[in-house]
Amino acid sequence: MQNETVLRPKKAPKSILSKGVRDHLVAYSFIAPNFIGFAIFTLVPMFFAFVLAFVKWDGANPMEFVGFDNFARLIKDTTFHKALWNTIVYTIGVVPFTMAVALALAILLNQKIIARNFMRTVFFFPYVASLVAVAAVWNFIFSPTMGPVNNILHLISGVPIEDLPRWAADKEWAMFTVILFTVWKNMGYYMVIYLAGLQGINPELYEAAELDGAGAWRRFRNVTVPQLAPTTFFVLMILVINSFKVYDIFINLFAGADNQLNDSTRVMVYQIYNTAFRSLDYGYASAMAIVLFLLVLGITIVQFRGEKKYG
Amino acid sequence: MVGSNKIFRVSVKVLVYALLAVAVFCMLIPYVWMLSSSLKMNKDVFSFPMQWIPDVPRWQNFVDIWTRIPLGRFIYNTAKLSVVVTILQLLTSSFAAYAFSKLQFKGKNILFLGYIATIAIPWQAYMVPQFIMMRSLGLNNTHLSIILLQAFSAFGVFLMRQFYQGVPDELCEAARIDGLSEYGIWARIMLPLSKPALSTLTIFTFVNTWNDFLGPMIYLTKTELKTIQIGLRMFISQYSAEYGLIMAASVVSIIPVVIVFLALQKYFVQGVAASGVKG
Amino acid sequence: MNYKRVYGMTFTAMLSVGLLAGCSGNNNNAQNNAAATAAPAGTNASASSEPSQEPVTLKWALWDWEATAYYKPLIEAYQKEHPNVTIEYVDLGSTDYMTMLSTQLSGGADLDILTIKDIPGYSNLVKQNHLEPLKGFMGTNSIDPALYGGTVEQIEVNDEVYALPFRSDFWIVYYNKDLFDKAGVEYPSNDMTFDQYDELARKMTSGSGAEKVYGAHYHTWRSAVQLFGILDGKNTVVDGSYDFLKPTYERILKEQEDGIVMDYATLKTSSTHYSGVFYNNSVAMMNMGSWFIATQIEKVKSGESQATNWGIVKYPHPDGVEAGTTLGTITSLAVNQKSEHKEAALDFMKFVTGEDGASVIASTGTIPAIKNDEVISSITSIDGFPADDNSKAALTTVQTYLEMPMHEKSADIEVILNEAHDNIMTKNATIDEGLKDMNTRVQSLLNN
Repeated sequence: MQNETVLRPKKAPKSILSKGVRDHLVAYSFIAPNFIGFAIFTLVPMFFAFVLAFVKWDGANPMEFVGFDNFARLIKDTTFHKALWNTIVYTIGVVPFTMAVALALAILLNQKIIARNFMRTVFFFPYVASLVAVAAVWNFIFSPTMGPVNNILHLISGVPIEDLPRWAADKEWAMFTVILFTVWKNMGYYMVIYLAGLQGINPELYEAAELDGAGAWRRFRNVTVPQLAPTTFFVLMILVINSFKVYDIFINLFAGADNQLNDSTRVMVYQIYNTAFRSLDYGYASAMAIVLFLLVLGITIVQFRGEKKYG
Repeated sequence: MVGSNKIFRVSVKVLVYALLAVAVFCMLIPYVWMLSSSLKMNKDVFSFPMQWIPDVPRWQNFVDIWTRIPLGRFIYNTAKLSVVVTILQLLTSSFAAYAFSKLQFKGKNILFLGYIATIAIPWQAYMVPQFIMMRSLGLNNTHLSIILLQAFSAFGVFLMRQFYQGVPDELCEAARIDGLSEYGIWARIMLPLSKPALSTLTIFTFVNTWNDFLGPMIYLTKTELKTIQIGLRMFISQYSAEYGLIMAASVVSIIPVVIVFLALQKYFVQGVAASGVKG
Repeated sequence: MNYKRVYGMTFTAMLSVGLLAGCSGNNNNAQNNAAATAAPAGTNASASSEPSQEPVTLKWALWDWEATAYYKPLIEAYQKEHPNVTIEYVDLGSTDYMTMLSTQLSGGADLDILTIKDIPGYSNLVKQNHLEPLKGFMGTNSIDPALYGGTVEQIEVNDEVYALPFRSDFWIVYYNKDLFDKAGVEYPSNDMTFDQYDELARKMTSGSGAEKVYGAHYHTWRSAVQLFGILDGKNTVVDGSYDFLKPTYERILKEQEDGIVMDYATLKTSSTHYSGVFYNNSVAMMNMGSWFIATQIEKVKSGESQATNWGIVKYPHPDGVEAGTTLGTITSLAVNQKSEHKEAALDFMKFVTGEDGASVIASTGTIPAIKNDEVISSITSIDGFPADDNSKAALTTVQTYLEMPMHEKSADIEVILNEAHDNIMTKNATIDEGLKDMNTRVQSLLNN
């Protein structure tokens, strides 16, 4: 997609300098409405938050410049390391799982099948519903002794109910449970993105492939996958970013009334929130946010390069 | 040969439908629970074993939610915010995305990368500076503050840009040769083509604004300005968790979003294909 | 990364933020200016407003406006005497209320009267210089701290007070008389040691599945379990050494393993509210704050609580400690240092935290901070309060320890304790590991 960066000027040989300037102005005028609003209301505060990483500030009293002290503290902070580790494990679990399920659903629900619109709505529903409500339902269904899941497992396997996983309440299974929940809650969202992407594929490409005698799998490999590349890139990016930024889901699934997580469920944004608003250590919290940002930025750059090569 | 192939196909179909049916069932259980809980008293909501159909449905919950808090007002506020934010988001995002996808200019890649990178910064990390800034502009306790925060997201630009990438460049080239300005191409070619993407962004933005909690919580402290999610939390308090009412209010709060989704759904099946574009 | 460049960037960033967002810089300077600007504002107000009749609108930050019985009566009672004063409430919600309040104040919100929900949050607001010091005001208005039963002294910071309590709750044991009658076990008494409480809880546990009755119930708050450990008065939770909590955790975890109490992790993930299990007759005894009295009375009337036959007794205590020793938690009012109507706000605070306010609060079944005999009898005479003498006597206390004592770093300490507590209760850590975690993290915090 980016290749025509090189091609375009050649195609417009009559362009003189003033046209180049004009082209630029036109391009910037497209970006301006969004960018100006974005710059003022998001970029400026973000920039300010970055500055905070180098100061000690409690939100009210004068700031004190501390250089890289906040980052030095991070290196020794074992609770932060746990949060970082849990976030990474969560991301690794959620991303491929969600992509696979969402793509499969989108392809399935893009066919002419019975009750298609109904099913699309049903799968999109968890994303729409208030998190408070669905997390409560989920926890009920996976309740260790009373929940239907464990009771059914007990009937099938004969394992005493006490020896079955305690899901969200079990430190060994908590991460698995929250990954499962996230996939369930968000797959509809990514399904919708994929569906819109699938709609964008020219049906003639499929017809041509069919004429060439390509089977379903080959059509998927040779038409769907490459044509969906921009969509896949988008889904992957947003999934990775959202997984790194996860907070609400953990709070609603594990934290109870006092918004408290423990070592097996602590994630980075929780740590940032706690540090900033409970401990009033805005500088240290900002340092954590920068680490999070750099991590995602690194992944973004890698994926961006990948997209260029692939798309 | 043909026969066995057909049998194979049919059995695959049956299997797929069976799997789908199970999946749909699993997806629906929580809502059945929500609906059933909305007709219960608080103390029965979490009682074991589960009672799917309450003996005595408590319709009073659906009456109470309108009187206990100004729910009507909250729904109006939320709807107003969601609609304005969505419209602004659609316009500015598709506009900017066009430049990122189809135009050449200096600093395009850097700017775009910067855009995406900011999506990665959790809002909790900069919400205090943002709040301080908004206050200094005198915008706290106005709906404008939420609109300004939500309407210019990098996410929308990213989403639209990805879809525009899928539109053949030759189309724009042809239009340029026909003498259309870039604005004309955006309005007459890109917008009609990107109906699926626009409806996707509409749903996402609408749902996000509709379900946003922390933003309104911090910016809107006057009751007459508050939104539905704050209303939902009003029922949960440290000393008494009004789950029956929460569920009733949740049921009510989901309805508008479902309407938006159903209204836009048909556009997913149109789009490029239906517009008869030749690649 | 290049140091010079970073410093340069930092500097430009500071500058641009200062320029662009005018007031965001203002916020930091505001602290320096606060004293300067606040003082004239204060003197102006006092100069012009002896018996001021000018209309004033005060903004009162609070939580759960709808669900709390005493806000409206308090405002009405005050306005009867001060018709020129209008009081607007700003409901910040109960979840993370103190965080929300601190964010609002840091952003310069024009709140006048602030409800202080807990000590860690109070300590943070004091550190952030948001609260108006009150010693001088108390002196000129002859407000006697002795009225508050020692709670004012407990929230002093460097010889200064920044809030006055208006509610003072303490922990008691609620029990379900029907369940005791059915089991043929004698009711709990007003003088129980931990061992006796444990024994009674074991006796009262019966059944399984839906019929299961748990002998006791610990809500998922840290204070519901951990703070048994401080009732002997020998230790506090801000000292940085927590080994003394081991017996408490051992006892509670044993009860949990034996099925005497519900599993912590399950309670937490299912967001089970303590009121629900008590209403449902699934627990025989429950340790909880006195705030639950008013709720329980109301819910019995509305039919939602099926535990219609209930009573209360004093909190269980360690061997050798007098009965009536319990945990306390106070709710206070403070005045925003940057309030433009400081005089009026202070006057309203004086009313709510004073004896007039106390009788209004008591009439709604809530225990006010000024707790004299009159107040106690007005609560016990509320229709629906258990009729037995033990329940009435349960409302007298001999010693209350604050759930979280005042400490400069109590907010940070609380976060650490809550997390370690959660790790122990969910068995993410053994008791020893959890306590060691508390020790090392709190000590490193204290030494910092």
